[in-house]
Amino acid sequence: MSASGSIKVTIGDVSFDNPVFLASGPAGYGEEYADFVDLQRLGGIVTKTVTYEPKAGNPGTRLQETRGGLLNSVGLENVGAGVFFGEKLPGLLDNGIRPIVSLAAEDWDGYRRLLDAAAGAGEIDIVELNLSCPNVDRGGMAVGTDPRMISRYVGHAKDILSGTAVIAKLTPNVQDIGRLALAAEEAGADAITAINTIVGMDIDIHAKRPVFKRIRAGLSGPAIFPVALEAVWRIVNTVDIPVIGVGGIDSVDDALKFFMAGAAAVQVGTAIFYDSRLPEKIITELEKNGIPASINRGGA
Amino acid sequence: MGACLQTVPVSFRAEDRYDQSLGRLFLPGSMIDRGVEGDRLAGIEKGLFSAEVAGNEKLSPACRLIRFARPEGFPDAKPGHFVSVRVNSFSVPLLRRPYSIMDLTETELLLLVKVVGPGSRLLAEAAVGDRMDIAGVLGGTVFPSPAGEDAVFVGGGTGLAPMIFAARTWKREGNTGNSYLIHGAATSEELLGTFCESDFTKVFRSTMDGSEGYDGDAVSYLQSLLNDDTISGSKLYSCGPAGMVKALELKVSTRFDSHYTSLEAVMACGVGACRGCTVPLREEDGRKLRAVCSDGTVFDASQIAWEDWE
Ligand SMILES: Cc1cc2nc3c(=O)[nH]c(=O)nc-3n(C[C@H](O)[C@H](O)[C@H](O)COP(=O)(O)OP(=O)(O)OC[C@H]3O[C@@H](n4cnc5c(N)ncnc54)[C@H](O)[C@@H]3O)c2cc1C
Ligand SMILES: Cc1cc2nc3c(=O)[nH]c(=O)nc-3n(C[C@H](O)[C@H](O)[C@H](O)COP(=O)(O)O)c2cc1C
Ligand code: FES
Repeated sequence: MSASGSIKVTIGDVSFDNPVFLASGPAGYGEEYADFVDLQRLGGIVTKTVTYEPKAGNPGTRLQETRGGLLNSVGLENVGAGVFFGEKLPGLLDNGIRPIVSLAAEDWDGYRRLLDAAAGAGEIDIVELNLSCPNVDRGGMAVGTDPRMISRYVGHAKDILSGTAVIAKLTPNVQDIGRLALAAEEAGADAITAINTIVGMDIDIHAKRPVFKRIRAGLSGPAIFPVALEAVWRIVNTVDIPVIGVGGIDSVDDALKFFMAGAAAVQVGTAIFYDSRLPEKIITELEKNGIPASINRGGA
Repeated sequence: MGACLQTVPVSFRAEDRYDQSLGRLFLPGSMIDRGVEGDRLAGIEKGLFSAEVAGNEKLSPACRLIRFARPEGFPDAKPGHFVSVRVNSFSVPLLRRPYSIMDLTETELLLLVKVVGPGSRLLAEAAVGDRMDIAGVLGGTVFPSPAGEDAVFVGGGTGLAPMIFAARTWKREGNTGNSYLIHGAATSEELLGTFCESDFTKVFRSTMDGSEGYDGDAVSYLQSLLNDDTISGSKLYSCGPAGMVKALELKVSTRFDSHYTSLEAVMACGVGACRGCTVPLREEDGRKLRAVCSDGTVFDASQIAWEDWE
């Protein structure tokens, strides 16, 4: 660790002032957190995943705290491509905030229309494909657990969004996340983000029924940090493209561990709810002492 | 959106990175995340504040009145607004806990806290001098003033808190109408209300087990008070368990010009970002899921799709 000047990071051809981003989802479209977080200071923010059509999300209970974690079943509620590209994205850009646009599809047709809309929106230089949401029936994890589907979705994004960096965000709910990463790399992905939430559930003992209508929900927060760290370690050993670590960052030290595992950048999700300034604290630490070097020499 | 995206000036001390490793002890005064100092955020409508506990009174076996010294720069609030408290600087419990503002004066922020689990327990055990990290002021809608007309307030359990804030605020604003509070609780042990008697024209109390006050639920009590003309009013305000508010809307609300209620839901962000706290509403163009934290907490009770709200 040396106190070096620059903590810039490059993904594809896209350069960021620092490698600390907000993860997709918890912070919405960013604007909601403007009073709590100095958004311009962040390397970037991954916007809430958008689908072509607006989505109302899941009915019933959507959140349940667990020991050191949070189960969510939001179900990709979002404003849809029209409002996103027409209002939300220009708002971020006008305010000097660096968006990474998160995209997901419910089916192939919707995916193609979404990519066409993104291509038409012009000002996007980097997207993150959410191939990993556990809270929807179609698309999401259903696509993201199959290496062939990953390569089809990533390949199409690279074709349509020429000149745009494409990040594939992967699910840990598989036997070997390294295989998914490899499929994404071979299809032309510029980087991998790992991990999305881990499938879990809870039961309401008084009502004698599962807490969530869909039974299963996605676990995030400190409880999943070791799983995310191992996934990043494994992926770094499998692919040559940059890996962005996300999952359970709860302190500056957790972020440093992701860099030591070989991550090129990190994202903060759930912690933004309770420690909104954590991303800025991580940046301050990196500015002071530099980005820690990877200690990952294999052993996956 | 431009206006809300102003830069928040923040500076950090080098030792901030050690926040999480501060011995992990529950030490008064060290509970606060040191990265947060409210006075830096003066002048914005919501922010993160370090607030010092100035008082902790027992109101009932399970309930406490927590007084915070109002942090410098803490925004003004209206009835129905809430704050979200990080009860300690480590991550168990994880999320902030939302609390209705029971009162906000020039010098104090008051919360009514019922112990139901670990988060509320830590808050209820706060000692004078402890500091806590408070996000506020939160909420997108507030109770509309009765504008001089007679008002009936129904507060179930700690749903009493925003009712008190409303009564006090409107009194301070010079509102002259009568104000009646019906406060219901499960048992006499959980019953509050004596400490706020002077805030209302009259306070009526009920317990489900009949151990004190009217024997039954607050909604039946209100019905009987209306039936025998003990009280009347044109504006109905409520906050409490979903079952109570639903019964009010379905059984009693036709006797009033309007019924506004402050809802509770499990929350993560409190600012409309995570979409975790939605309530189904019936709107002109169909059903919509709205965020309790940022589209509420106050809703026109006739708009709520009660069949799908627990
Ligand atoms: C806008 C708003 C205003 C509130 N105002 C007050 C208030 O003035 N006084 C007060 O005592 N409580 C209030 N609450 C409820 C309070 O937030 C919860 O009691 C608290 O979060 C429970 O935390 P815990 O760790 O003690 O319990 P947990 O172990 O988290 O939960 C214990 C029980 O409380 C329920 N609960 C948890 N979180 C919430 C929540 N956010 N809303 C409702 N129920 C919840 C759980 O379902 C469970 O049954 C309010 C909640 C909201 C959303
Ligand atoms: C409420 C909530 C909503 C989320 N929504 C999305 C989403 O829309 N798209 C996505 O790719 N990931 C989403 N995630 C997953 C996060 O981006 C992140 O991968 C995961 O929560 C693990 O990181 P964390 O432990 O820091 O939160 C969401 C997570 C939460 C808690
Ligand atoms: S708590 Fe996040 S949207 Fe309401």
